[in-house]
Amino acid sequence: MAEPYVKRQPAGWWLKNPAYRRYMLREATALPLFAYTLLLITGVYRLSQGEEAFTQWLVMLRSPWCVTLHVVALAAALLHAWTWLQLVPKILVVHTNRLRVSGTLIKRVHQLGALLGSVGLVVLAWLFLAQGGS
Amino acid sequence: MRRSNEPIAWSLFGAGGMLLAFVGPGLIVVTGLLLGVLLADQPASVYESLLRWLSHPLGKLLMLSVVALSLYHTCHRLYHATHDLHLRAPNALMLVLFYGGATVLSGITAVVLWSIGA
Repeated sequence: MAEPYVKRQPAGWWLKNPAYRRYMLREATALPLFAYTLLLITGVYRLSQGEEAFTQWLVMLRSPWCVTLHVVALAAALLHAWTWLQLVPKILVVHTNRLRVSGTLIKRVHQLGALLGSVGLVVLAWLFLAQGGS
Repeated sequence: MRRSNEPIAWSLFGAGGMLLAFVGPGLIVVTGLLLGVLLADQPASVYESLLRWLSHPLGKLLMLSVVALSLYHTCHRLYHATHDLHLRAPNALMLVLFYGGATVLSGITAVVLWSIGA
């Protein structure tokens, strides 16, 4: 009996279609965000070693590598946030007999929350750190 | 039918994705701009503040949540990206590498956080 014919998918399947390229870009945001999380872990580790070690970590933050990582990670985080919240109305559907909320509203509320979340974090961190942690 | 672990992996991925969407950009601005540039002239004060914050159980828990959920989120995506890119390897090995890696790194972070201010 002849083997069934299986059409092999080329590894570059996602290159030709713009929608597939956007999908791959969205998934690729995980790479700089993973690298950034590792940087965060090293910061916690250096802090646990004492003031001198942590100060060295703070100095390292200004190295070209770390600045580049921050720029790329920020772009990735923004793209992640945007694409992630686009998907929220597809997962969170409020559609009962008593209550119906439009997907657009659910998305907008999440976008507002994300904006407040990030801006709020920066403001809180600024207030906390600038006052010497009091 | 064998029970799948996918719901657990997806829950952690989803929680991490939501957390990163809500505070990710802000967190990167805090370490990149506040710690790296604006407060660069007062490392001693920054150290004292962060040490005080991470000495508190709630501070440790918040930090561990951010780190662990980010790890599970990104490792889940990277695991599936290896499939998308046709990087062929035994699935069990990939599962151990990505989800195991996220778990080990989370564990290390937890231990380090536990030691701060103790």
